[in-house]
Amino acid sequence: MENSLLTIILFAPSIAAVATLLFPKDSTKTIRIWALVASLVPLVFALVAWFGFDGAAVDANGFKYVVNAPWYAEIGSYYHLGMDGLSLTMVLLTTLLTPLAILASFGIKENVRMYMALFLFLETGMLGVFLSLDLLLFFVFWEIGLVPMYFLINQWGSPKGERELWGGMKVSNRTYASFKFMIYTMAGSLGLLLAIQMLGVVFGKFDLTYIIQEWNAMSGETMILGGFTTVATAKTVAFWAFTIAFALKVPVWPFHTWLPDAHTEAPTAGSMILAGVLLKLGAFGFLRFVLPLYPEQAQAGANILAGLATAAIIFGAFAAYGQRDFKRLVAYSSVNHMGFVVLGIAAAAKAIGTESATIALNGAVLQMFNHGLSAAGMFFLVGVVYDRIHTRNLDEMGGYFPLVPVYGGILIFTSMASLGLPGLNGFVSEFLVVRGAWPIFTGWTALSMLGLLFTGAYILKGISKSLHGPLDETHSHHLTEINKREIAVIAPLMVLMLWLGVWPSWLLDVIDKAMMALQSAIG
Amino acid sequence: MELTELIIWLLPLPPLLAFFLIVLFANRSNRASWMIGVGAAGLSFLGSMFVFFRALGADHFGEHPFTSQLAWLPLNGEAFKIGVLIDPLSAITLFFVAITVLMIFIYSVGYHNWGQPKGDHDQKGLPPHGATVEEHGHKHVVPSIEPMFARFFAFIGLFAFGMYTLVVSDNLLTLFVGWEIMGLCSYLLIGFWYGKPTARAAMIKAFMTTRVGDVFMLLGIALLYYFTGTLSFREILFNENVLHALSTHDSGVLGLSVAGLAGILLFIGTVGKSAQFPLHVWLPDAMEGPTPVSAMIHAATMVSAGVYMVIRMFPLLAAGMNHGHPTTPMVVLAVIGSITALFAATIALAQNDVKRVLAYSTISQLGFMVAALGIGAYVAAAFHLVTHAFFKALLFLGSGSVIHGMEHGVLHTGNHKVDPQDMFNMGGLKDKMPRTFWTFLIGGFALSGFPLLTAGFWSKDEILADAWAHNQAVFWVLAIAAFLTAFYTMRQITLTFLGKPRTKVAEHAHETSLWMTGPLMVLAVFAVGFGWLGIPEHFPGLGGLLPNWVHDFLAHGLPEWLYAEVPEFSWVPLITSLVVALGGLAAGYYVYRDVPSAEEDPAKKVLGPVHTLLENKYYFDELYDFLFVRPAKWFSEKFVFEGMDRKVIDGILHAVAQVSYWLGGIFRNYFDLPVVNKFIGDTLGAAVPQWFGAQIRKIQTGVVQTYMILAMVVAFGSLFIIMLTIR
Amino acid sequence: MIPLSWYLILAALLFGIGLFGVLARKNVIAILLSIELMLNAVNINLLAFWRYLTPEDIAGQIFTAMVFVVAAAEVAVGLALVISVWRRRTISSADELDLLKW
Repeated sequence: MENSLLTIILFAPSIAAVATLLFPKDSTKTIRIWALVASLVPLVFALVAWFGFDGAAVDANGFKYVVNAPWYAEIGSYYHLGMDGLSLTMVLLTTLLTPLAILASFGIKENVRMYMALFLFLETGMLGVFLSLDLLLFFVFWEIGLVPMYFLINQWGSPKGERELWGGMKVSNRTYASFKFMIYTMAGSLGLLLAIQMLGVVFGKFDLTYIIQEWNAMSGETMILGGFTTVATAKTVAFWAFTIAFALKVPVWPFHTWLPDAHTEAPTAGSMILAGVLLKLGAFGFLRFVLPLYPEQAQAGANILAGLATAAIIFGAFAAYGQRDFKRLVAYSSVNHMGFVVLGIAAAAKAIGTESATIALNGAVLQMFNHGLSAAGMFFLVGVVYDRIHTRNLDEMGGYFPLVPVYGGILIFTSMASLGLPGLNGFVSEFLVVRGAWPIFTGWTALSMLGLLFTGAYILKGISKSLHGPLDETHSHHLTEINKREIAVIAPLMVLMLWLGVWPSWLLDVIDKAMMALQSAIG
Repeated sequence: MELTELIIWLLPLPPLLAFFLIVLFANRSNRASWMIGVGAAGLSFLGSMFVFFRALGADHFGEHPFTSQLAWLPLNGEAFKIGVLIDPLSAITLFFVAITVLMIFIYSVGYHNWGQPKGDHDQKGLPPHGATVEEHGHKHVVPSIEPMFARFFAFIGLFAFGMYTLVVSDNLLTLFVGWEIMGLCSYLLIGFWYGKPTARAAMIKAFMTTRVGDVFMLLGIALLYYFTGTLSFREILFNENVLHALSTHDSGVLGLSVAGLAGILLFIGTVGKSAQFPLHVWLPDAMEGPTPVSAMIHAATMVSAGVYMVIRMFPLLAAGMNHGHPTTPMVVLAVIGSITALFAATIALAQNDVKRVLAYSTISQLGFMVAALGIGAYVAAAFHLVTHAFFKALLFLGSGSVIHGMEHGVLHTGNHKVDPQDMFNMGGLKDKMPRTFWTFLIGGFALSGFPLLTAGFWSKDEILADAWAHNQAVFWVLAIAAFLTAFYTMRQITLTFLGKPRTKVAEHAHETSLWMTGPLMVLAVFAVGFGWLGIPEHFPGLGGLLPNWVHDFLAHGLPEWLYAEVPEFSWVPLITSLVVALGGLAAGYYVYRDVPSAEEDPAKKVLGPVHTLLENKYYFDELYDFLFVRPAKWFSEKFVFEGMDRKVIDGILHAVAQVSYWLGGIFRNYFDLPVVNKFIGDTLGAAVPQWFGAQIRKIQTGVVQTYMILAMVVAFGSLFIIMLTIR
Repeated sequence: MIPLSWYLILAALLFGIGLFGVLARKNVIAILLSIELMLNAVNINLLAFWRYLTPEDIAGQIFTAMVFVVAAAEVAVGLALVISVWRRRTISSADELDLLKW
């Protein structure tokens, strides 16, 4: 059981996806229920992994539930999966959000069978990234995640709107957004793939833990690749290749413009997963690959990264404040929040091994989880209103609070979690990041407070324009109270937000141990 | 954990439970809501009193406060602990918070017209407009119950939870949690009647302005946590080594020590929360909320919390003080506090809204406390915090009662154009609302510092005495502010209660129910009596008759090295405070005893354009709008989003795309089509193989034997060549 | 004893006759017979090599037996094809069998 646990978690969604395609095309209801039930399977096994985590056997590198079987042995690539506190946290987030997103997409009407299959397939891609301990395997999953999301945006995205490119050439918004998302990530992947190939050539295998040990034991002067270059140069180049690939995904300013487009145009559940999990892949990449593989380069590049993170925090908040489209506002809030994750990672990279670094890393990982909850919740709530009134323009909304008091309360609650109100989850992680980054990047951290201030501004703008404000006469008669299914989607998120805000130690304990192990592995 | 500690842990919970109960289960029942709300406040009140009296009975309470801790966050393998702490300062804060909160809860039941019928056209998000009832055959309009009655009790429950959390915290982090929860609640409560555009603007203004302070405070907390490895008050403030290290370590910012920088950062939090200059702008606008909210925010809880926090952090602010020479943060406090005290008092002179006058007086009084702390008068600041909470809660609730009485008149006359909050529409309410009048008078006199009787006199006198001893500039500024305070307070009382009614509405004003006047009377007792607990020992005549309990109790809450010596008695501050209080009251009465309307306000004639300046609050709102709000809007919408993201970044991306597109076109037109398709495809790919095939075809006879001969020739030929090469 | 080369020369002659027959004769049955000749030439070679070089091993005999079996099968299939072609097109001349051309 212990050895096959991760395989089950990883491939249960794919098997379910294939099974989904066997249903008759028109049995929409059955397909929805089936997809929901199937998506609960990985969640159940993730919980099994969670509760058995402390007692599970651990390998020499600190990973549990390890599987290591030949996959493409001729080129040294293995089916090597393993779980530590970091991936446990992320797997939990992914397996939790997927059923909720599927439940949230019960309103989808066109081609439900394909939609659900893609969604389940997407889950395998994301889980694979979190669980792989083999660089080539990781890359395969990294790319797999792209494809379903491309189609989800492209086929089920919001049908309205056009974007002008140049010279009067126009494309529909969802085509534009999905294309931008795809091309952007692919562009980053190019360097990543080359860097991974280089590591494969140098070491003859793609095993992450092996490469980390060997790589860091080499002196910088050693010639590699048949005397082509030195280790130090190769590391620097590979570091930037990895960093750019992950920075695009997070995204770090100024590589962020695909995000608002993709999030805005994606179907509600797609945005939930995009913001909730896909953005975490980049941050996860930094923690799992960049820090252990290139500690010195990360240290050298930390300043730049912290500066870009601060820019993301500040400009993300400002851009969110400048929006009229509610969904785009929430999308930009992701740029703002993920900036804190990167700031924490940069701070840790700069001063690895110190107390502040651990705190910053704890904050960053917790922020990843928290942002997964609150951003998914926010996107869902925006989707709830959009389903009813078919507009996202804040200027056209207003005065909904008396009409939908339950929805209003939930929106305020979730917004406050997103804003980082103490007592809810976002605060704990933001505080830890600020605390960890403050002694390391005093200036950047102080500047980022401007972003924190404007977080308040855009959240309040969203609330006041939709819930308060003069009553919107044109759309409000379409507005109905949030229904039971929708409450079932948001309720687990709310419970977790409150729980993590009041008593975060159950999760932070796991993260803390993982982060200490991560740093001691680097040395 | 002992019983006392357990109770301290449990203190904040009843209001929180009330919040959840009302939101989840009782939101449709008004009766259940207020019962749950008031019951919860009552439970917390009982618990607080128990704790307070246990604290009174404890020996050496200052050195051995009630404290208890719990591991909260695992960080770097160690546990970050949170806990509760009741020491003298928090005990006395708990005392006034518990009383005022309970009174405000009870008052709210009456204020929101419990027991009245549902309104005719009342809407959620707007104040109730009255209901028509038929009695004895004729119709008349009576006040109607608040349409969101239940929600109000949920919100103030959460608010009370925030305040209790803040008071019982033993560390800055949980204090900050309570602090921010109150910020949220004040946002929700100020915007309780969100149907009004002014309320909507005010709620955002309040939240954003205080958030400016909050982010600095968060930095301060992070800084302290980094240098000390803890956020516990006892471990930082009562540990001389830590304080010494903090005060000698250079922070690298503006030449401040770490203690100085952290102190100033934390103080900026207070500037936001306690509405000190220059972040004071939100508080007067916060009057858009229902009156109990104003009392909650302005008296019992939120603004007190800001001052409570700086008083709490006083040892940090004073760290590095040698021989009474004030530290940088203390100078900052003294300057900001004095400016605020005077500046807000001047604005209050020219306000006509009964609640706004009180709002500015609150800002001014908070300035007194901050200034007191800046000159090292720890006890005086805390003492004034307590007495101010009592009399300001009393005044706000009293003004709410007045407004309610006036609304009664509005409904009766049916003249909805009369603003029930404008003091110039009032007058002569003394006879219509006697209970409100007498309690308001007590509150007003306490605020003005009416000698000997009122609590405000004793606490303000102590501040002035300390200021005289430590810093005479501060003394004179505060003395002027105190004079203005007495003046505008008497102006308010005179315009509201004395003289003759100026409008029909005022003639038909009506005393409010016991739900509202009851709490007023309770608070009035404290507004008078609490001062007697803090009479200085050397006060001529009265000194020594009663022990100076406040000083004894509070001073021991400080670390030993900070024990402030009681300044020597001096006649100057005493006479000054007598003169300013009595003179201000007399002048206020004399000037405003017979003013018929706002146009004939004597101050307007005397001050001329200065009065306009004051009336418009020195144009701070307009200034901030011009300096911050509009640029921020422009910056975010036009610069960051449309300019930077859309034009520059997306522009670059589109340019790259366009270049690829163009390159693709070139490849297609000049390479793919002519070279690949035409030459390689058509010529090399099609024509050449066709010709070749036609030639090859000739040997394809279909006769097996021909093929075999061919195979033999090739085989032998190959063999021959191989043999040749091997040689 | 007769030297090995004699056997090899005999086999080469037989193979050459067979090859000539395959390439030159027009009658399909004659071609089949010629193929048999070539196979038998190979058989002689196999046996001669076995006897002279590796008498302790029986591989040569086994190979020969295998060739017999294959030859028998081949003749059976070959004759069946010839008969089938004869029945359909009444030709037995290899020149006229040029269906492969199309």
